[in-house]
Amino acid sequence: MAQLIGGVGVPHTPHFPGIVDRGEPLAAEIGELYGRAANWLRQARPDVLVFFTCDHYYNFFVESIPIFAIGVAESARGPGDYRELRQYEVRVHAPLARRVQAHLVQAGFDVGMSQEFELDHPVTVPLHFLTPGMGVPIVPVFINGLIPPLAPAWRCHALGTAIGAALAGEPDEPGGPLRVAAIASGSFSLEIGGPRISAHSHTGVPDLDWFDHVLVRLGAGEVGELVKEATGEQLARAGNAGGELLSWIAMLGLLDPGPPEFLAAQRDFGHAFGIWGSG
Amino acid sequence: MSVYAVNKLCYRVVREPALRQFLTEDPEAALLAVSPPLTDTERGALLAGDVGTLSLMGANHFLLHQLGRFRLLGLDLQRYAERIRAAHR
Repeated sequence: MAQLIGGVGVPHTPHFPGIVDRGEPLAAEIGELYGRAANWLRQARPDVLVFFTCDHYYNFFVESIPIFAIGVAESARGPGDYRELRQYEVRVHAPLARRVQAHLVQAGFDVGMSQEFELDHPVTVPLHFLTPGMGVPIVPVFINGLIPPLAPAWRCHALGTAIGAALAGEPDEPGGPLRVAAIASGSFSLEIGGPRISAHSHTGVPDLDWFDHVLVRLGAGEVGELVKEATGEQLARAGNAGGELLSWIAMLGLLDPGPPEFLAAQRDFGHAFGIWGSG
Repeated sequence: MSVYAVNKLCYRVVREPALRQFLTEDPEAALLAVSPPLTDTERGALLAGDVGTLSLMGANHFLLHQLGRFRLLGLDLQRYAERIRAAHR
Protein backbone atom coordinates (compact mmCIF):
# COMPACT_ATOMS: atom_id res chain seq x y z
CA MET A 1 0.00 0.00 0.00
CA ALA A 2 1.46 3.35 -1.05
CA GLN A 3 1.72 6.00 1.63
CA LEU A 4 -0.08 9.24 0.78
CA ILE A 5 1.91 11.99 2.46
CA GLY A 6 -0.02 15.10 1.38
CA GLY A 7 0.07 17.61 -1.40
CA VAL A 8 0.44 21.19 -2.55
CA GLY A 9 -1.65 23.42 -4.77
CA VAL A 10 0.19 26.08 -6.75
CA PRO A 11 -0.22 28.40 -9.73
CA HIS A 12 1.76 28.21 -12.96
CA THR A 13 2.00 31.77 -14.27
CA PRO A 14 4.53 31.47 -17.13
CA HIS A 15 6.11 34.84 -16.31
CA PHE A 16 7.04 33.87 -12.75
CA PRO A 17 10.37 32.16 -13.51
CA GLY A 18 11.54 35.23 -15.42
CA ILE A 19 10.36 37.63 -12.71
CA VAL A 20 12.38 35.68 -10.14
CA ASP A 21 15.45 35.32 -12.40
CA ARG A 22 15.50 39.05 -13.09
CA GLY A 23 14.87 39.97 -9.44
CA GLU A 24 11.83 42.10 -10.25
CA PRO A 25 9.72 43.52 -7.40
CA LEU A 26 7.48 40.47 -7.10
CA ALA A 27 10.43 38.05 -7.02
CA ALA A 28 10.71 37.82 -3.24
CA GLU A 29 7.01 37.09 -2.77
CA ILE A 30 6.95 34.47 -5.52
CA GLY A 31 10.10 32.84 -4.19
CA GLU A 32 8.71 32.80 -0.65
CA LEU A 33 5.38 31.24 -1.67
CA TYR A 34 6.81 28.51 -3.88
CA GLY A 35 9.57 28.10 -1.30
CA ARG A 36 7.04 27.17 1.40
CA ALA A 37 5.66 24.42 -0.80
CA ALA A 38 9.15 23.32 -1.93
CA ASN A 39 10.35 23.06 1.69
CA TRP A 40 7.32 21.03 2.64
CA LEU A 41 7.95 18.66 -0.29
CA ARG A 42 11.64 18.32 0.57
CA GLN A 43 10.78 17.33 4.13
CA ALA A 44 8.01 14.99 3.00
CA ARG A 45 10.51 13.08 0.77
CA PRO A 46 8.06 11.80 -1.87
CA ASP A 47 9.12 8.95 -4.18
CA VAL A 48 6.58 10.06 -6.76
CA LEU A 49 4.35 13.07 -7.46
CA VAL A 50 0.80 12.65 -8.75
CA PHE A 51 0.53 15.84 -10.78
CA PHE A 52 -2.97 17.19 -11.53
CA THR A 53 -2.88 19.59 -14.47
CA CYS A 54 -4.98 21.04 -17.29
CA ASP A 55 -3.41 20.78 -20.73
CA HIS A 56 -3.32 24.28 -22.25
CA TYR A 57 -4.37 23.39 -25.80
CA TYR A 58 -0.90 21.93 -26.25
CA ASN A 59 -1.09 18.13 -26.36
CA PHE A 60 -4.79 17.71 -26.76
CA PHE A 61 -6.64 19.69 -29.38
CA VAL A 62 -6.67 18.17 -32.87
CA GLU A 63 -7.00 14.41 -32.50
CA SER A 64 -9.00 14.35 -29.30
CA ILE A 65 -9.66 16.33 -26.14
CA PRO A 66 -9.81 13.79 -23.32
CA ILE A 67 -11.86 14.75 -20.28
CA PHE A 68 -9.31 12.80 -18.21
CA ALA A 69 -6.00 11.27 -19.30
CA ILE A 70 -2.89 9.88 -17.65
CA GLY A 71 0.56 10.17 -19.18
CA VAL A 72 2.37 6.81 -19.28
CA ALA A 73 5.55 7.69 -21.22
CA GLU A 74 8.91 7.02 -19.55
CA SER A 75 9.64 10.75 -19.54
CA ALA A 76 8.47 13.98 -21.11
CA ARG A 77 10.08 17.27 -22.14
CA GLY A 78 8.90 20.82 -21.80
CA PRO A 79 7.66 23.46 -21.66
CA GLY A 80 7.03 23.15 -25.39
CA ASP A 81 4.65 26.12 -25.29
CA TYR A 82 7.34 28.40 -23.77
CA ARG A 83 10.63 27.62 -25.51
CA GLU A 84 12.10 30.76 -23.93
CA LEU A 85 11.84 29.15 -20.47
CA ARG A 86 14.35 26.61 -19.17
CA GLN A 87 13.63 23.25 -20.77
CA TYR A 88 13.38 20.14 -18.65
CA GLU A 89 13.20 16.41 -19.17
CA VAL A 90 10.95 15.04 -16.44
CA ARG A 91 10.81 11.37 -15.53
CA VAL A 92 7.40 9.74 -15.40
CA HIS A 93 6.76 6.79 -13.07
CA ALA A 94 5.41 4.89 -16.06
CA PRO A 95 4.65 1.55 -14.37
CA LEU A 96 2.67 3.26 -11.62
CA ALA A 97 0.96 5.54 -14.15
CA ARG A 98 -0.14 2.50 -16.18
CA ARG A 99 -1.43 0.69 -13.10
CA VAL A 100 -3.36 3.75 -11.90
CA GLN A 101 -4.89 4.26 -15.36
CA ALA A 102 -5.90 0.60 -15.59
CA HIS A 103 -7.40 0.72 -12.08
CA LEU A 104 -9.39 3.86 -12.97
CA VAL A 105 -10.80 2.32 -16.14
CA GLN A 106 -11.85 -0.78 -14.20
CA ALA A 107 -13.43 1.49 -11.59
CA GLY A 108 -15.61 3.08 -14.26
CA PHE A 109 -13.58 6.21 -15.08
CA ASP A 110 -12.98 6.51 -18.82
CA VAL A 111 -9.44 7.84 -18.46
CA GLY A 112 -7.37 8.04 -21.62
CA MET A 113 -3.78 6.89 -21.80
CA SER A 114 -1.23 9.20 -23.39
CA GLN A 115 1.86 7.30 -24.51
CA GLU A 116 3.73 10.23 -25.98
CA PHE A 117 3.27 13.83 -24.91
CA GLU A 118 5.12 17.01 -24.10
CA LEU A 119 4.86 19.01 -20.92
CA ASP A 120 3.45 22.51 -21.10
CA HIS A 121 4.02 25.36 -18.65
CA PRO A 122 1.31 24.30 -16.15
CA VAL A 123 3.53 21.31 -15.35
CA THR A 124 7.01 22.71 -15.72
CA VAL A 125 6.58 26.08 -13.97
CA PRO A 126 5.53 24.44 -10.67
CA LEU A 127 8.29 21.81 -10.96
CA HIS A 128 10.85 24.52 -11.78
CA PHE A 129 10.16 26.02 -8.36
CA LEU A 130 9.25 22.91 -6.35
CA THR A 131 11.69 20.22 -7.52
CA PRO A 132 14.24 22.07 -9.68
CA GLY A 133 16.54 19.05 -9.77
CA MET A 134 13.66 17.08 -11.32
CA GLY A 135 14.67 14.18 -9.08
CA VAL A 136 11.13 12.97 -8.32
CA PRO A 137 9.20 11.20 -11.09
CA ILE A 138 5.63 12.25 -11.78
CA VAL A 139 2.35 10.62 -12.71
CA PRO A 140 0.69 13.30 -14.85
CA VAL A 141 -3.10 13.39 -14.55
CA PHE A 142 -4.64 15.62 -17.23
CA ILE A 143 -8.03 17.07 -16.42
CA ASN A 144 -9.78 19.07 -19.11
CA GLY A 145 -10.30 22.38 -17.34
CA LEU A 146 -10.14 24.74 -20.30
CA ILE A 147 -12.16 23.42 -23.24
CA PRO A 148 -15.91 23.05 -22.60
CA PRO A 149 -17.60 20.75 -21.90
CA LEU A 150 -15.80 20.21 -18.60
CA ALA A 151 -16.42 17.29 -16.30
CA PRO A 152 -18.52 18.14 -13.24
CA ALA A 153 -16.55 18.98 -10.10
CA TRP A 154 -17.97 15.99 -8.24
CA ARG A 155 -16.62 13.70 -10.96
CA CYS A 156 -13.15 15.24 -10.68
CA HIS A 157 -13.28 14.84 -6.90
CA ALA A 158 -14.34 11.20 -7.34
CA LEU A 159 -11.47 10.67 -9.79
CA GLY A 160 -9.03 11.81 -7.11
CA THR A 161 -10.65 9.45 -4.61
CA ALA A 162 -10.36 6.58 -7.10
CA ILE A 163 -6.67 7.36 -7.62
CA GLY A 164 -6.34 7.00 -3.84
CA ALA A 165 -7.91 3.55 -4.06
CA ALA A 166 -5.49 2.61 -6.84
CA LEU A 167 -2.55 3.72 -4.69
CA ALA A 168 -3.90 1.78 -1.72
CA GLY A 169 -3.62 -1.37 -3.83
CA GLU A 170 0.05 -0.79 -4.64
CA PRO A 171 2.46 -3.40 -3.24
CA ASP A 172 5.22 -2.15 -0.94
CA GLU A 173 8.61 -1.44 -2.51
CA PRO A 174 11.60 -3.38 -1.08
CA GLY A 175 12.48 -0.33 1.02
CA GLY A 176 8.96 0.16 2.38
CA PRO A 177 5.79 1.76 1.05
CA LEU A 178 5.97 4.10 -1.92
CA ARG A 179 5.73 7.66 -0.62
CA VAL A 180 3.27 9.62 -2.80
CA ALA A 181 2.64 13.36 -2.74
CA ALA A 182 0.24 15.29 -4.97
CA ILE A 183 0.55 18.58 -6.82
CA ALA A 184 -2.38 20.54 -8.23
CA SER A 185 -1.63 23.30 -10.73
CA GLY A 186 -4.05 26.11 -11.53
CA SER A 187 -5.95 29.30 -10.77
CA PHE A 188 -9.41 29.88 -9.27
CA SER A 189 -10.45 32.81 -11.45
CA LEU A 190 -8.60 33.76 -14.60
CA GLU A 191 -9.44 35.10 -18.06
CA ILE A 192 -6.79 34.86 -20.75
CA GLY A 193 -7.28 36.92 -23.88
CA GLY A 194 -11.07 37.02 -23.64
CA PRO A 195 -13.67 39.78 -23.17
CA ARG A 196 -13.22 39.85 -19.37
CA ILE A 197 -9.54 40.82 -19.34
CA SER A 198 -8.54 43.80 -17.19
CA ALA A 199 -8.11 47.34 -18.52
CA HIS A 200 -4.31 47.07 -18.56
CA SER A 201 -3.45 43.48 -19.47
CA HIS A 202 -4.34 40.57 -21.75
CA THR A 203 -5.40 38.65 -18.64
CA GLY A 204 -7.85 39.35 -15.86
CA VAL A 205 -9.51 37.98 -12.74
CA PRO A 206 -13.21 38.24 -13.59
CA ASP A 207 -14.80 36.81 -10.44
CA LEU A 208 -13.08 38.00 -7.27
CA ASP A 209 -16.14 37.10 -5.16
CA TRP A 210 -15.80 33.49 -6.25
CA PHE A 211 -12.05 33.62 -5.72
CA ASP A 212 -12.52 34.85 -2.14
CA HIS A 213 -15.18 32.21 -1.56
CA VAL A 214 -12.95 29.38 -2.82
CA LEU A 215 -10.24 30.56 -0.47
CA VAL A 216 -12.64 30.52 2.51
CA ARG A 217 -13.86 27.02 1.65
CA LEU A 218 -10.32 25.70 1.23
CA GLY A 219 -9.15 27.36 4.44
CA ALA A 220 -12.02 25.81 6.40
CA GLY A 221 -11.53 22.36 4.85
CA GLU A 222 -15.04 22.54 3.39
CA VAL A 223 -14.23 20.60 0.24
CA GLY A 224 -17.65 18.95 -0.06
CA GLU A 225 -19.37 22.34 -0.10
CA LEU A 226 -16.85 23.68 -2.61
CA VAL A 227 -17.50 20.72 -4.92
CA LYS A 228 -21.26 21.44 -4.81
CA GLU A 229 -20.72 25.13 -5.52
CA ALA A 230 -18.19 24.67 -8.34
CA THR A 231 -20.87 24.21 -10.99
CA GLY A 232 -20.11 24.49 -14.67
CA GLU A 233 -21.83 27.88 -14.73
CA GLN A 234 -19.75 29.12 -11.81
CA LEU A 235 -16.47 27.91 -13.32
CA ALA A 236 -17.39 29.66 -16.59
CA ARG A 237 -18.09 32.89 -14.69
CA ALA A 238 -14.63 32.56 -13.14
CA GLY A 239 -13.05 33.00 -16.57
CA ASN A 240 -11.89 30.91 -19.50
CA ALA A 241 -9.29 29.31 -17.20
CA GLY A 242 -11.70 29.11 -14.22
CA GLY A 243 -11.91 25.35 -14.76
CA GLU A 244 -8.34 24.98 -13.52
CA LEU A 245 -9.89 24.72 -10.05
CA LEU A 246 -10.82 21.17 -11.09
CA SER A 247 -7.14 20.19 -10.69
CA TRP A 248 -7.29 21.29 -7.06
CA ILE A 249 -10.62 19.55 -6.51
CA ALA A 250 -9.26 16.28 -7.93
CA MET A 251 -6.22 16.53 -5.68
CA LEU A 252 -8.45 17.16 -2.67
CA GLY A 253 -10.44 14.06 -3.64
CA LEU A 254 -7.20 12.11 -3.48
CA LEU A 255 -5.98 13.62 -0.20
CA ASP A 256 -9.35 13.83 1.60
CA PRO A 257 -7.72 16.35 3.91
CA GLY A 258 -8.78 18.66 6.69
CA PRO A 259 -7.86 22.34 6.59
CA PRO A 260 -4.54 23.15 4.94
CA GLU A 261 -1.30 23.67 6.86
CA PHE A 262 -0.70 26.76 4.77
CA LEU A 263 -2.83 28.79 2.39
CA ALA A 264 -1.87 32.13 0.88
CA ALA A 265 -3.43 34.02 -2.01
CA GLN A 266 -2.11 36.26 -4.72
CA ARG A 267 -5.48 37.86 -5.25
CA ASP A 268 -4.42 40.06 -8.18
CA PHE A 269 -3.56 36.88 -10.08
CA GLY A 270 -6.67 34.92 -9.03
CA HIS A 271 -4.57 32.11 -7.61
CA ALA A 272 -3.22 30.72 -4.34
CA PHE A 273 -0.66 28.42 -2.77
CA GLY A 274 -1.79 25.66 -0.39
CA ILE A 275 -0.13 22.86 1.55
CA TRP A 276 -1.96 19.83 2.89
CA GLY A 277 -0.03 17.41 5.08
CA SER A 278 -1.25 13.93 5.85
CA GLY A 279 -2.01 15.03 9.42
CA MET B 1 -18.79 27.31 -39.54
CA SER B 2 -15.06 26.77 -39.76
CA VAL B 3 -13.87 28.88 -36.86
CA TYR B 4 -12.11 25.64 -35.95
CA ALA B 5 -9.68 26.49 -38.76
CA VAL B 6 -8.78 29.73 -36.95
CA ASN B 7 -8.39 27.91 -33.65
CA LYS B 8 -6.23 25.24 -35.22
CA LEU B 9 -4.02 27.84 -36.85
CA CYS B 10 -3.42 29.45 -33.43
CA TYR B 11 -2.79 26.04 -31.85
CA ARG B 12 -0.15 25.37 -34.52
CA VAL B 13 1.39 28.81 -34.04
CA VAL B 14 2.41 27.80 -30.51
CA ARG B 15 3.89 24.48 -31.62
CA GLU B 16 5.53 25.35 -34.94
CA PRO B 17 8.27 27.99 -35.21
CA ALA B 18 8.36 27.42 -39.00
CA LEU B 19 4.72 28.42 -39.29
CA ARG B 20 5.40 31.56 -37.24
CA GLN B 21 8.20 32.42 -39.64
CA PHE B 22 5.98 31.78 -42.68
CA LEU B 23 3.27 33.99 -41.20
CA THR B 24 5.83 36.74 -40.64
CA GLU B 25 7.40 36.54 -44.10
CA ASP B 26 4.33 35.94 -46.25
CA PRO B 27 1.11 36.04 -44.26
CA GLU B 28 -1.18 35.74 -47.28
CA ALA B 29 0.53 32.59 -48.55
CA ALA B 30 0.78 31.14 -45.07
CA LEU B 31 -2.95 31.61 -44.46
CA LEU B 32 -3.82 30.10 -47.85
CA ALA B 33 -1.76 27.01 -47.03
CA VAL B 34 -3.46 25.98 -43.79
CA SER B 35 -5.73 22.98 -43.44
CA PRO B 36 -8.63 22.93 -42.98
CA PRO B 37 -8.97 26.04 -45.16
CA LEU B 38 -9.99 29.38 -43.72
CA THR B 39 -13.05 31.14 -45.08
CA ASP B 40 -12.45 34.41 -46.93
CA THR B 41 -13.88 36.30 -43.95
CA GLU B 42 -11.56 34.55 -41.52
CA ARG B 43 -8.53 35.06 -43.73
CA GLY B 44 -9.35 38.73 -44.20
CA ALA B 45 -9.78 39.26 -40.47
CA LEU B 46 -6.52 37.47 -39.72
CA LEU B 47 -4.59 39.49 -42.33
CA ALA B 48 -5.95 42.68 -40.77
CA GLY B 49 -5.09 41.50 -37.25
CA ASP B 50 -8.80 41.98 -36.58
CA VAL B 51 -9.06 39.73 -33.55
CA GLY B 52 -12.20 41.60 -32.45
CA THR B 53 -14.12 40.22 -35.43
CA LEU B 54 -12.65 36.75 -34.90
CA SER B 55 -13.64 36.95 -31.23
CA LEU B 56 -17.22 37.83 -32.17
CA MET B 57 -17.20 34.94 -34.66
CA GLY B 58 -16.54 32.59 -31.77
CA ALA B 59 -12.80 31.97 -32.00
CA ASN B 60 -11.22 30.60 -28.83
CA HIS B 61 -9.62 33.44 -26.89
CA PHE B 62 -6.85 31.46 -25.24
CA LEU B 63 -5.73 30.33 -28.69
CA LEU B 64 -6.38 33.67 -30.39
CA HIS B 65 -4.20 35.58 -27.92
CA GLN B 66 -1.20 33.55 -29.07
CA LEU B 67 -1.18 35.69 -32.24
CA GLY B 68 -0.46 38.69 -30.01
CA ARG B 69 2.00 36.82 -27.85
CA PHE B 70 4.07 35.84 -30.89
CA ARG B 71 3.65 39.28 -32.53
CA LEU B 72 2.04 37.94 -35.68
CA LEU B 73 -0.25 39.63 -38.21
CA GLY B 74 0.54 43.11 -36.92
CA LEU B 75 -0.38 42.26 -33.34
CA ASP B 76 1.30 42.34 -29.98
CA LEU B 77 -0.34 41.59 -26.65
CA GLN B 78 -1.27 45.22 -26.01
CA ARG B 79 -2.86 45.69 -29.43
CA TYR B 80 -4.54 42.30 -29.10
CA ALA B 81 -6.08 43.28 -25.76
CA GLU B 82 -7.22 46.68 -27.04
CA ARG B 83 -9.02 45.10 -29.99
CA ILE B 84 -10.74 42.48 -27.83
CA ARG B 85 -11.91 45.18 -25.41
CA ALA B 86 -13.17 47.36 -28.27
CA ALA B 87 -15.11 44.46 -29.82
CA HIS B 88 -16.93 43.74 -26.56
CA ARG B 89 -17.54 47.31 -25.40
